[in-house]
Amino acid sequence: MSRNLVELVRRTHAQRAPTALEVLKAALEDHGEITDEDRREAARISGLPEAAVYGVSTFYDDLAVPRGARHVRVCTGTACFAATADAHVSALRDGFGLDLGERREDGSLSLAETVCLGFCHSSPAVRDGDLIDAGEGVVERALSGALRAAREPDWRSLLEPAILTRPGDWSGLRAALATHTPESLLGEVKAASVRGRGGAGFPAGEKWSFARGAPGAEKFIVANGDEGDPGSYIDKQLMERNPALVLEGMALAGYAVGAEHGFVLTRSEYPLSKPALEQAARQAREQGLLGDDIRGSGFSFDVTVLEGAGSYVVGEETALLACIEGLRGTVSARPPFPAVSGLFGLPTVVNNVETLANIPFVARAGADAYAALSPGASSGSKLVCFNERFANPGVYEVRFGTSLRELCEDVAGGVRDGLALKALQIGGPLGGILPASLLDTTFDFDQLAAVGCMVGHGGIVGFDERTDMRELARHLLHFGAAESCGKCFPCRIGLRRAHEMFADGRAVERARLEELLEALEVGSLCAHGGGMPAPIRSLLAHFPDELGLT
Amino acid sequence: MSEDERFDSTVSTTCGYCGVGCRLEAHTRDGRVVSISPAHDGPANEGHTCLKGRFAHQFTRSRERLTTPLIRDGEGFRRASWDEAVALIVSELTRIKTTHGPDAIAGLASSRATNEDCYAMQRLIRAAIGTNNIDNCSRVCHSPTSFAMRRSFGLSGATGSFSDIDHADAAIIIGANPTEAHPVVGARIKQATLRGMRLVTIDPRQTELADYSVLHLAPRPGTNAAVVLGLAHVLVRDDLIDTNFIDQRTEGYDTLIELLHAYEPDAVESITGVAAERIEAAAHVYGEAEDACLLWGLGVTEHKYGSEVVQLICNLALLTGKVGRTGSALLPLRGQNNVQGSSDMGALPDTYTSYRSVEDDEVAASFEAAWGVPLSRRKGLKINEMFDAAVAGELKAMWIFGEDVAQTDPNVAHVTHALESLEFLVCQEIFENATSAFADVILPASAFLEKAGTFTNAERRFQLVAPAIDPPGEAKTDFEIITTISRALGHEMGWSTSAEVMNEIAALTPQYAGVSHERIGRKGLQWPVAADGTDSPMLYEHEFTLPGGRARLAALPYKPPGDAADDEFPLILITGRRLQHYNAGTMTRRTLNLELQDSDWLEIHPADAARLWIKTGDHVSIRSRVGRIETVARVTERIEPGHVFTAFHFPEIRTNLLVGSSVDVNTGCPEYKVVAVDVRPVSEEAARTPALAGI
Amino acid sequence: MRVAVDGREVEVATGATLLEAVRAVGADVPTLCFDERQMPFGACRICLVGVAGAPGPLPACTTPCREGMVIDTHDATSRRVATAIVELVLSELPVAPAAHTELARVAASLEVGEPRWRGATHPSDHDERHPYLAFQHELCISCARCVRACDEVQGAFALTATGRGFTANIAVGLDAGFLESTCVSCGACADSCPTDAITEITLLSL
Repeated sequence: MSRNLVELVRRTHAQRAPTALEVLKAALEDHGEITDEDRREAARISGLPEAAVYGVSTFYDDLAVPRGARHVRVCTGTACFAATADAHVSALRDGFGLDLGERREDGSLSLAETVCLGFCHSSPAVRDGDLIDAGEGVVERALSGALRAAREPDWRSLLEPAILTRPGDWSGLRAALATHTPESLLGEVKAASVRGRGGAGFPAGEKWSFARGAPGAEKFIVANGDEGDPGSYIDKQLMERNPALVLEGMALAGYAVGAEHGFVLTRSEYPLSKPALEQAARQAREQGLLGDDIRGSGFSFDVTVLEGAGSYVVGEETALLACIEGLRGTVSARPPFPAVSGLFGLPTVVNNVETLANIPFVARAGADAYAALSPGASSGSKLVCFNERFANPGVYEVRFGTSLRELCEDVAGGVRDGLALKALQIGGPLGGILPASLLDTTFDFDQLAAVGCMVGHGGIVGFDERTDMRELARHLLHFGAAESCGKCFPCRIGLRRAHEMFADGRAVERARLEELLEALEVGSLCAHGGGMPAPIRSLLAHFPDELGLT
Repeated sequence: MSEDERFDSTVSTTCGYCGVGCRLEAHTRDGRVVSISPAHDGPANEGHTCLKGRFAHQFTRSRERLTTPLIRDGEGFRRASWDEAVALIVSELTRIKTTHGPDAIAGLASSRATNEDCYAMQRLIRAAIGTNNIDNCSRVCHSPTSFAMRRSFGLSGATGSFSDIDHADAAIIIGANPTEAHPVVGARIKQATLRGMRLVTIDPRQTELADYSVLHLAPRPGTNAAVVLGLAHVLVRDDLIDTNFIDQRTEGYDTLIELLHAYEPDAVESITGVAAERIEAAAHVYGEAEDACLLWGLGVTEHKYGSEVVQLICNLALLTGKVGRTGSALLPLRGQNNVQGSSDMGALPDTYTSYRSVEDDEVAASFEAAWGVPLSRRKGLKINEMFDAAVAGELKAMWIFGEDVAQTDPNVAHVTHALESLEFLVCQEIFENATSAFADVILPASAFLEKAGTFTNAERRFQLVAPAIDPPGEAKTDFEIITTISRALGHEMGWSTSAEVMNEIAALTPQYAGVSHERIGRKGLQWPVAADGTDSPMLYEHEFTLPGGRARLAALPYKPPGDAADDEFPLILITGRRLQHYNAGTMTRRTLNLELQDSDWLEIHPADAARLWIKTGDHVSIRSRVGRIETVARVTERIEPGHVFTAFHFPEIRTNLLVGSSVDVNTGCPEYKVVAVDVRPVSEEAARTPALAGI
Repeated sequence: MRVAVDGREVEVATGATLLEAVRAVGADVPTLCFDERQMPFGACRICLVGVAGAPGPLPACTTPCREGMVIDTHDATSRRVATAIVELVLSELPVAPAAHTELARVAASLEVGEPRWRGATHPSDHDERHPYLAFQHELCISCARCVRACDEVQGAFALTATGRGFTANIAVGLDAGFLESTCVSCGACADSCPTDAITEITLLSL
């Protein structure tokens, strides 16, 4: 990120001024669109130059799409695709007579696409204002203006006692303040081998070590609640049902690293997440568990909850920091790493919210107990979720080392309506596609990697026999191209070309595709362009006949 | 030859606009400059430049370029051949010299011309004519800097280089607006502040860099001395001084201390209008920094006591030891591309090259030996004295080379009267202008893209100038013009190239002994340059260039400026520059820069505007004790109540009609920055509209 | 510290990048988003080099040297991927880049001919409101050198990247052209642009 722009916003941040993104979002809330006067105002308040503010206003989906008095957003995520092959999207377009991203002349209605609303357990999903409806009949209800709030998914642990679904009670923080020094807590977390739950699987303890050792007095903890993976609603449920556990994890990270402030970035596609976290924070402050001198320990920590504005790549850690700073959510080259130079140029730990939710147990019970949760496998437990294709979709806390067959057939109840399972995509849109023939693969990091798949974020999207794999490829590449931040050349241009290969109705030249996939894997700046080839490679390996290759 | 097939040739040269001295690559095709790009290895600009150096070169082929000599014919001019023009000049100058003596003739060398051109000019005036009446336009900008730095440190130039800005932890900029007047240096300073360099700006206006400063002081115009004395007082009071340095490398401390007692922050506040706490805070920013730079411009020098203020600024560095090491430099921002060089070359009435006095027998003798003629030991006239002498009938002839005194000098009415009073006036120019309107002979000269030689930038750096194109029509290079006329006057200079001129300069000037075009190369040489070519990026590392090696602390009290607001003229006018144009606008007004800015305006504070029933866009008249002009008003809060500001780039506006005869006490530099004026709307209706009356 | 480039050892300063080491021995790798006057950006990804022991090619401009690194500028994967990327870049422009541009020279050095891709290209959009600077948006490859020149060299902050993905481009000010922005007409953007998307108007008519 531009050192100068970061310095300019750091100066105004120090004076508690809102970021340019916050000002633009507020303008949008207020009058449904963003004008040049709004941009100038955002520049004045935030300290960001006007041109940069213009750039911000064109980056995020929420800001760039025109809004009518009634703003309908249809989910085009992978779970909704698995349910209807996007028939619900065409139905709404035809029904409203609007294309995606269009607004009626009289301003009364606008239609846009959104990815993803986190109601994958009852796809397809449609959002009207802040009301989200999903499931059977949702299109008809949308067209007739009679949407109703969708049912929330099941939220269950298979562990006894539950760890991540157990309501956070701050016992971990209290134990740490009583029995750990920051260094010893850090050691415990490292010994526990807590791997990142956001997708990269990077050891949290190592990240914390770098930040702790970086020079500078002011440091930050950033909780990545930007779960943009279509088909995944784990973080949504975690933030909305168990926000205290997440905040407790952040405070523990702050204690170990030497940070006094944390930020949570939530998604605007999850309108309930921010209020839930803020309420949990308020309660914690009232109990003296957040704020100055927590429980007389000398340790101070507090949090600010922020909301994004519609960009998948903002889930990447450097783009996430840019979003918090109010800038365009583009990826930055590393080094420097956020642990050394992160938010506002200061040492920052970025962890996924689920990763942080693991920490209180480690603080309370220790590294060995944490490892014992999944005996013979990666330490700790994992939240997974299933899409609407399964009989019992929902969020489940499971052990590593479980087989996927057990997860899909026993836990999720198998595919509904008597349909056969064709394939799974695990871990997000950059995860490999696992054919049903490999269902006995163990759910764990290395085992999934060996078959070209990943644990990733833990979302499991099942495709039944009706799904056309070439359409799936097109769907994934459309998503990849649309969400590309636009900075690096292989991803910016390459994903567009890859999508065109599958979308223009012609045969796909396999050799050319392989060249392109190599350029993306090897050349991309981040895991978005770098990871997009993985599912395509799976499809080439397991479903070549359906792809229309030459 | 050019690597790029679009161009016939690419010539490396040095910009002819401001004192930054950007190195440029001029690309030509079909005999015209089609594009200019910045040289990546330019020591002062490092691959950057501004809109003037980059784009404002079309004036070289403007249809208005002088392409033949012109001789007065009644009210106008007629074209003439070179032979006729030269013959006329020779006969007139010879006549006047014989009848009235050589001191009845004076010359002005151009600070835009090369070192070699200026050296040749002063040689012609001294050797061919026989007088020391030669000056250049540094008189009206940084002559106070030159005087003061020689007094305080010994040498007339920046103590370091622009790169010192990158190594400074803090800096103070007084009376300068580099993002407009020295854009590449302004950009460098801005980047430094974004990296954490703590900047203090001192200026009656809220300049762009004030927005990047940690502290901005807006003193009343003319009170700089009090501000600087106040800073010195706080440095001493709060023990931010380097006593070791003071003991070992300076003299005059005790006398200065005596004086500083009176300049406590409260006292300074009542003189300057700057709050006492801000004086203290500014002193601490400078004093507590490990390394700090001091920069100033014409907002310091163009005042009655400008030469004293510069000495007081030098005091700050001496009290804290922040001079003579990397990151701690004093950088006066020289205006013109070669204002440093034209003075270095001795185009001054009282000195030869490197500021050695004309009264010094030994020095004069060395030039007599080289030139083969006896030389006057009597100091000549400064520019303002030349005009006085012309009006008095004592000065009969002037040869003005590349300076539009009728637009850029103060007290324009007096200047034009002086020009009218002369018997004979030669103007050597690239365009006709306000001054040449009074000429008897106009000689068509060359622009910086058409000549060979060197410029010396504000870092004391000699840099090469190379011709990318030929002068148009019958115009000649200034080198050719001056040497030809000198020859015709009977003094053969004996050079065939500008490189040979530099060799002579080096041979006769110990401080430039190792300078040659070959050695200058692409990196330049910062004087002093030893005979083996070792140059001096930094001065005063071990000793100052004064007897005993010690610098002089100056105990100079504050005195009020030459003009002051009163009931009849209640506002103070400050004049200055804008980004898109350069000085008289001679070059820039003949480029598309005119599309970016085609006129100027008067900046006025809302409180004054309300009181005078003026709003943005209104035509206003500005009246001073000596003149009246009209322009358009623009209301802004970036100026203080009681002050107004405008630039001087447009001859139609003739800003300098307003500036009177107050000058610096030591150097004669005009007080452009403090002019008492009255401003009112030109339209009477506006003045009678009750709705606009202030509350 | 010492590193080796194509078998030749060279001494480099702490913090030097692989690209600096490569150029220090007189070798080179192609670049498009790199400008020595700006901080490395890491967008074009064609400066990839092979480094012994690394899992894959590394971008030379943003990777710092470590003692003893062995760098190979002729690494086959790096060259293949760089060539593929340049072909992609050529394919997004509606016309081939002029011969004098950096993009054309890089393409020539990698022997990339006419691109085989027949997909979307940038729509034509010319802005010549400024007296000196022309913006041909369809030639923009979003390397952001202009934005960074205006940010890191001049400090006027008049330019910005806009949009996302394939439709990303560059805008001036609030997208109302140079004259309506904080631009000070220094031309640093045009000087840095590798495709003539921003260039001097006079040069367009040569």
